[in-house]
Formats: sequence, C-alpha cells, structure tokens
Amino acid sequence: MTLSHAAHVPSPARPRRLPAGLAAVTPAFALVAVVFVLPVLALLLRSVLEPEPGLQNYAAFFASTTYLKVLGNTFLVAATVTVATVLLGFPVAWFLAIAPGFWSRLLFAVVILSMWTNLLARTYAWMVLLQRTGLINRTLMNLGLISEPLPLINNLVGVTIGMTYIMLPFMILPLHATIRSIDPSVFQAASLCGASRWQAFTRVMLPLTATGIAAGALMVFVMSLGYFITPALLGGTSNMMLAELIAQLVQSLLDWGLAGAAALVLLVVTLAIYAVQLRFFGFGQARS
Amino acid sequence: MLLDFSRLGPWRLVLVLIALLVGAYLLLPILLIVGLSFGSSRWLQFPPPGWTLRWYRELFDDPAWIASFLTSFRIAAVVTVLSVVIGLMASFGLTRGEFRGRELLRALFLTPMILPVVVLAVALYAFFLRLHLNGTFTGFVLAHLVVALPFSIIAISNALERFDRDIETAAIVCGASPLEAKLRVTLPGIRLGLMSAALFSFLASWDEVVIAIFMASPDLQTLPVRIFSTLRQDLSPVIAAVSTVLIALTAGLMALAALLRKDARS
Repeated sequence: MTLSHAAHVPSPARPRRLPAGLAAVTPAFALVAVVFVLPVLALLLRSVLEPEPGLQNYAAFFASTTYLKVLGNTFLVAATVTVATVLLGFPVAWFLAIAPGFWSRLLFAVVILSMWTNLLARTYAWMVLLQRTGLINRTLMNLGLISEPLPLINNLVGVTIGMTYIMLPFMILPLHATIRSIDPSVFQAASLCGASRWQAFTRVMLPLTATGIAAGALMVFVMSLGYFITPALLGGTSNMMLAELIAQLVQSLLDWGLAGAAALVLLVVTLAIYAVQLRFFGFGQARS
Repeated sequence: MLLDFSRLGPWRLVLVLIALLVGAYLLLPILLIVGLSFGSSRWLQFPPPGWTLRWYRELFDDPAWIASFLTSFRIAAVVTVLSVVIGLMASFGLTRGEFRGRELLRALFLTPMILPVVVLAVALYAFFLRLHLNGTFTGFVLAHLVVALPFSIIAISNALERFDRDIETAAIVCGASPLEAKLRVTLPGIRLGLMSAALFSFLASWDEVVIAIFMASPDLQTLPVRIFSTLRQDLSPVIAAVSTVLIALTAGLMALAALLRKDARS
C-alpha cells in the first residue's frame, strides 16, 4: 500500500488535499457506522442488559446442554466440511493447474458456474436429491445396496453434504493459485536427487502448499461456522447449528438477551480465527 | 514431475478420476434442476415421465412471483448505483488520502464481508424495528448496501492502485481542472474496476437472502425470500423453473465477465 511519490510533494494546486481525502470516505463511514457498527453493538449490549444487567445470558448459554449441543454440532459440521473440502479440493486444484488446456478450462468453468449459481437453487437441488424418495435413495435401492431409504435429509448428514458442495469452490480456487505458483524445477531437482513420486509429494509439494491449504481451510471453517441457509433447509429441528439458533431465539422466542449472547459467541470465534489468519498468512490470502 | 501432467505416471489416473467425480458432483445438481423444471412430474421424478412448460407458465402467470422478481431487481439496481458511487469516493480517500487510521478504516469497511451475516441480519432487524424500516424499500437498500460496499471498495481500490497517477497529473498540467481530470481521464482508466464493482454489488444484493428473510413483509418480498419460504413448505417444481431462470442469468453474467476480461487483456 505505497503512495505514489507525487502524493508526498506538497502541491500548491491542491492545498486542501488532507480534508479532501477524509471527505471522500465520509459517506461510506457514515453508512457502515450507522447501518453496521451501531446495530451490531446494540445487539451485543442487549446480551448483558436484558432482561436485567448482568452475565446471566452467558451463564444460561453455557449451562444449557441444548445450547452446548448446538455449539458442538456447529464445530462438528464446520470441521467435517473443512476436511472434506481439503481432501476433494486439493486433487481438483492440482488437476486444474496441470491438465491439458481444454480439460482444465472445462472443469474451471464448472467450478465457477457452481459457485455463481444462486445459493437457494443449489440447496433446492440437494433437497430434491437427498429426500426419502429422492434420486440417491432410489438409485441405491434399485441397485439393491439398501432396502430402506437412508435418512439423508433433516439431519447433519444432509447439512454436511450440502455445505461441502457450497464450500468446495472456496477451497479449489485459492489452492489452484498456490499450486500454479510452484516453480516446476523444484520437482526436477527432487527427481535428480532420486526422490520417488511419493517422496516428492510429501516432502516438496505438501510443504510448498501448506500455507495455501491452511488459509483455505481456515476460510472454509469460519464461513461454515456462521452459515444459515443450508442448515436451515437441509438440517432438522433437533440438530440445529449456531446461526439457526440465533435466528430462532429472535423469531420464535423473542429472547433478545440470549440471542445477543449467542451472537457474541459466534463473533468471538469468527474474529479469533481471522486473527490467526491475519497473523500467519496476511490479509491478501483472506481476500483471494 | 508432479507438475507435468504427462509424467505423473499412475498418479494421473487417480487425479483424473477425482477431478471427474468432483466435476460431476458440482455439475449434476445444476443439470438436475434444469431437467426437473421441464419435467412433467409434480413429485420430481427423475428422469421425468414427460416434458412440459407448465411450471414456467405457473411461474410467469403468478403476479406474486413477478412482483418479487421486480422487487429484487429494483433493490439491486439502486444498491449497485449507490455502492459504486460511495465505493468510488471511499476508494479515492483510502488510496490517495493521507490521514491517520487509513488502514484501520479500510479494515472497518471490509468487515461486513467477513462477519457471519446472520449476526448482521438479527442486529439490523432489531434496529429497523425502532426506525420502522423493516419491510420497506429503503430498509432493504440500506442493508444490502452495507453487504455490497466491500466488494465495490475492493474492486475499485485495486483498479485505482494499478492506475498510473501521472496520467491524471499530466491532464492537470495540460490545463484540466482536478475534477475534470478525474472524470475524463481517471474514471475511463479504471472502468474495468468500476464494472466489476457494479457486477459484484448487483449480485451481492440480488442473491442476499439471510437479511432479507428477517426484513421482508408480506407486501415486500425479494425473490430469494419467496424461494426460501416456498421451500420451507414444499419442493414444488416451480422452484426448479425459477432456479433455471436464475442459472441462465448467472451463465449470462459469467459470459459477460469473461468478455470483460478478454477486453482487459487486448
């Protein structure tokens, strides 16, 4: 973020440059302050003010087995989705980086199309596929692999399948960039030194891509933690995730204090993970 | 050796197989929706027993669907204009201003993009309850603007940083006023950044659903809200028809973005 040299030279043509810079950011600042910072702070404040001042909302949240189970579900799903996207995303990113032009362009277009397709449309597809009489259950029964339909929807299995689908592009794209940035000659060197493919993979490729994998994994994990739509449509009422709990506390129970507390828990975890990301990988990775 | 496709040996087969499977995993649900939207089975049998345009007719004959389509479009259009204008001003301030706390301010502007949107949705719902903005056009625009602005600021700031400022200075030396130089030299110079800011702002609002679910009233529903509340009741094939229309729009926008990129390279 270096300024051009011209900016440091005091120019008589524009004596009011400093206030000008500030004036330009004012509308954005006003918008973010009033429509973002203020409401979020107000919500968090309610967690220590309602129904009466104190920390009872947090005590209630962490004492309730129901809410702790929601927290557990949230971490379990986010972790499973992260591992699945790494395992599936790495080979795909690798393929995209080295496959012959036509095939890699084709797969690339599929990844982008799926990422850009409306979230609700994609979730709808999985609701159709996973239901009791859906394509997957019917195919498995026709093949004789199962005699009863598998419970694939209204539970965490459905949420995990749907969220892995939605998060995959966010792992593939940054990893693809990481693998492409590797200098191919390091593998020639490894091969000259007598390394087998497996050794080249574990001792050269994995270390060189570790930062990219970690950055992608953190991003997928943190996005999964706060996800609302897919769990709300593919999940069941008995196995909620944190974002659904917050929504339900507000919409059905009108318990703003507890909702504020749950929101703060989600925010603290999210910001802590971003802090790790920022500390170890810089902001560029988080943006890409 | 590991980055040379022809010298991967047995690993190539594994890589191709996984790429094929993941490609199918990503593509098949989208094809399934398109197929179902033309299928005659109300119970979403696949492959469908016959073909029909009935779900599209139901969709386009229903004033409520058309209304929410238009609502979404109007909100997204206003958000796009405001997001590009405010984002352009903020980007000028962030990349060229010399005040303290610039980086902090940039981080603040980008925060709405990384925080869980459900928190913002609940917070805004409570805030707008007091201001009586829930279920209003203004409320939707304000909320979606906060979500869209980070995309606009990133796109325009990047373009401004790449733009050679000496060209603008040259225009001023040649007698243009500073404002004239910005309007007639700098803005055309960063037009690709402006276009991608507009594209992403539009999509951010058009696809936004979580905040909209909380804010919507029976009279003012965006398209995603209508899809969401329909999905909560049943898996009607009409949703497949709406989704197909949305997928076609997406594919169109993708083609447009690819053209923009080609234009940028040439």
